[in-house]
Amino acid sequence: MADPITTALNAYNAASKALAAPGLGARDDAAQGGGFSELLRRAAGDAVGTLKQGEQASLAGIAGKSSITEVAAALANAETTLQTVVAVRDRVIAAYQDIIKMPM
Amino acid sequence: MDLNVAMQVAFAGLGVQGERLKVISENLANADSTSQTPGGTPYQRKLITFQGVFDRHIGAVTPKAGDVLTVGGTFERRLDPTNPGADADGYVQLPNVNPLIELMDMKDAQQTYQANLSVIDAAKAMISHTLDLMRS
Repeated sequence: MADPITTALNAYNAASKALAAPGLGARDDAAQGGGFSELLRRAAGDAVGTLKQGEQASLAGIAGKSSITEVAAALANAETTLQTVVAVRDRVIAAYQDIIKMPM
Repeated sequence: MDLNVAMQVAFAGLGVQGERLKVISENLANADSTSQTPGGTPYQRKLITFQGVFDRHIGAVTPKAGDVLTVGGTFERRLDPTNPGADADGYVQLPNVNPLIELMDMKDAQQTYQANLSVIDAAKAMISHTLDLMRS
């Protein structure tokens, strides 16, 4: 019973190190260890890329450079990515709060 | 993610049906376009073709508009000596566009477009319902 809890704690510990480190470069160093923080970092990077694509597509659409379906596709992609990121973030924060509230 | 890929494929379907509607609209709009030179050929009906192309980026076969063919054949003739396109006998050749066929083609394009929109709706709903699992 204790094993899953300690692995979860280790994972959150690693993630907290990665998030607490200031700047992207420092985060990269912290993420070298791999595992949960690396996963989070990569997911965040992908998400930012997708959101940027959506932004560029809408700008091109306003300028009349791309078709409405291309804009809608990029925006739908960005929307689902953002939803996923928000859901995961909420989950991670909830887990942190559970740990903070834990009676020591 | 598979659902995202499904959405991208459906969006490609939307784009292709849009191009199809463009060709249909050209045909319908030019249903009366005759030649300006005596005895010349009138507007010829256009036909769009589609092909499935493997998209390496998303890892799925997406539809793509292929060549737009020009349908030749024989043209109907109408006696209209005052028309600039009339030949020596006073007959002018009419385009081989049948508005009924074009309208049916348009209905088909519309329904396929709607079907692709439904796929996008379904994929979106599936993704957001799955994310709801995390929220509870």
